[in-house]
Amino acid sequence: MQLVQRLSLTQRVQVVLLVVFLGAGVAAPYVLPPFYVSILSLSLVFGMFALSINLLAGYAGLVSLGHAGIMATSAYGVGYVASRLGGGVGQQLTTAVIAGLVVTAIFAVMAMRTSAVYFLMVTLAQGMTIWGLSMRLARITGSENGLRGVYRPEAIAPYWKYYYFCLTMVVVAAGLLWVITRSPMGLAMRGLRESETRMRMLGYNTALQKFYAFMLSGVFATASGIMYAYYNQFVSPTAAEFVTSGKGVLMAILGGVGTIAGPLIGAVIIVAIENLLSLYVTRWPTILGLLFIFAMLFWREGVMGAISVTWTKALRRLAPAEAARREHLTVGLDQAAGAPVTADASAGRHTDKTED
Amino acid sequence: VDTRFLLVQLLNGLSFGGLLFFVASGFTLIFGLMRIVNLAHGGFFLVGGFVGLSTIRLTGSFILGVLAGGVAIALLGAFTERVLLRPIRGMVLPEVLLTVGLSFVLADMSLAIWGGDPVSVPLPDLLRGSFDFGLMRYPRYRLVVLGGAIVLGVVMWLLQSRTRMGAMVRAGVDDRETVAALGINIYRVFTGVFVFGAMLVGFGGVLGGAMLGLLPGEEVEILLLGLVVVIIGGLGSLPGAAIGSALVGLLDTFGRAFFPELSYFTLFAPMAIVLVFRPTGLFGRA
Repeated sequence: MQLVQRLSLTQRVQVVLLVVFLGAGVAAPYVLPPFYVSILSLSLVFGMFALSINLLAGYAGLVSLGHAGIMATSAYGVGYVASRLGGGVGQQLTTAVIAGLVVTAIFAVMAMRTSAVYFLMVTLAQGMTIWGLSMRLARITGSENGLRGVYRPEAIAPYWKYYYFCLTMVVVAAGLLWVITRSPMGLAMRGLRESETRMRMLGYNTALQKFYAFMLSGVFATASGIMYAYYNQFVSPTAAEFVTSGKGVLMAILGGVGTIAGPLIGAVIIVAIENLLSLYVTRWPTILGLLFIFAMLFWREGVMGAISVTWTKALRRLAPAEAARREHLTVGLDQAAGAPVTADASAGRHTDKTED
Repeated sequence: VDTRFLLVQLLNGLSFGGLLFFVASGFTLIFGLMRIVNLAHGGFFLVGGFVGLSTIRLTGSFILGVLAGGVAIALLGAFTERVLLRPIRGMVLPEVLLTVGLSFVLADMSLAIWGGDPVSVPLPDLLRGSFDFGLMRYPRYRLVVLGGAIVLGVVMWLLQSRTRMGAMVRAGVDDRETVAALGINIYRVFTGVFVFGAMLVGFGGVLGGAMLGLLPGEEVEILLLGLVVVIIGGLGSLPGAAIGSALVGLLDTFGRAFFPELSYFTLFAPMAIVLVFRPTGLFGRA
């Protein structure tokens, strides 16, 4: 009882919501038909992917447009061993993890000295290089025909077991992220987002910080690649496409960057629209593109930003003292770029613009 | 390897670099002034090419096609800058990401309107055939594109260094606030530069459509090559774009000729090296 009283109202609500959503997640296969469970699984795969992008974008302020390259590399690791070498699960996973992390390390070394727009361009070019290789290295990737003959391991073969596998992975990842973002390293990453110059003045090796952040993000992207390969049981260059990276970024933004729940919400929204709408609309990339444009014009703080603003307003009536403390907590893409602060949720936050 | 083959590849690389200069010069100019990385630039290229193609099919005139491609993309650029980007001016990441969405829409709409089969922009008789160098013959059209790019480079350099407009742009690159404080309407300069850069890539789309053919999906490759050009050359630098274009054109051509399976690596490796030693490119400023 004492613990409950020490938690603020917001924290108590968060704990309740967490329990409710976890419960719903566990219960889903019992109440939903297989088709919807499978869509939820795909949302979790992309949720993991969006979490990895968000780790860089939301906390370090570095938007990567090439993460599909990492996800695809790891998926190809699974696919190549399974379909070309006939290796078992252990070998598939080892190859996927090594390949994913090696590519991440190469990307990270190249990108670690760049910031903001340059970082974005470099990662974009990296991601597209992987896509180009996936199209041309036919001996390894099967080019546009892709790699067939990838099968889920026995233990997660049925759709509902696979769903629980994804759910477990994402819950563990979210837990890790929660710890990481509150660790000294996570705080240093936020420092990068707020002002790289200031961090350098304080004696931080910012390039090294970015390298670590990129590697961590790569771990999650690699995991999403493994999940992706087992979801489709097939790997093709689609995984490495620019659109795939873009989708991941959009998920993180629509949900709300700099939060843990945001990218997951964003993934559910996008995957749901893509799978339910594409039954009726053939021009899915146009819809995705328009969503992107509208999100940037009117919806930069995402779902979590909107929730946060509404909740802060509600708190002013419920618990004014707590509301006052919350004013500076909301994070959005605008701040991630060190841009002028306009949204009213961000009042009280001070950003400096010395780096432009 | 015989000399003739190498010479042909050299010209192939340089003329392809010439085409890339039409893409990269506008891209780098827009960034230099407005700090916007326009990731819809590949989409602009593609749509420009298709508009040119349709115009040529209608009128039979190649020149009209090139002009139509340029004008159409200039208008699209004006819309993008005035309507889409103006409300989020100065928010670095939202600006860039908005253009990502735009590029998805443009590519998908091209697919809907012009179909998914590769098409080639037809050349007039004057530009067909080859030029005789004595040692070997070489397609006349590719030489024209290379010449066009050199003329464009010289004109842009003169515009930037000799005219009042160019001075405003250069001043804007250095310090936007001061330029605005001097009573220059910097927003009009922004729009002008964006429209100019868009027009150039529109021309490039039609010229490239006659050189490489047009196919939805191509915009990503053009964007990649354009990005590598400006990453190597340095964002915002005109000489960087010129040298980067030539370099990337040559690397890509020789890469395809000698290591077809790994051709992307011949771009990736130099980019990696430049980034490690000069994170802002050969001619870029921090």
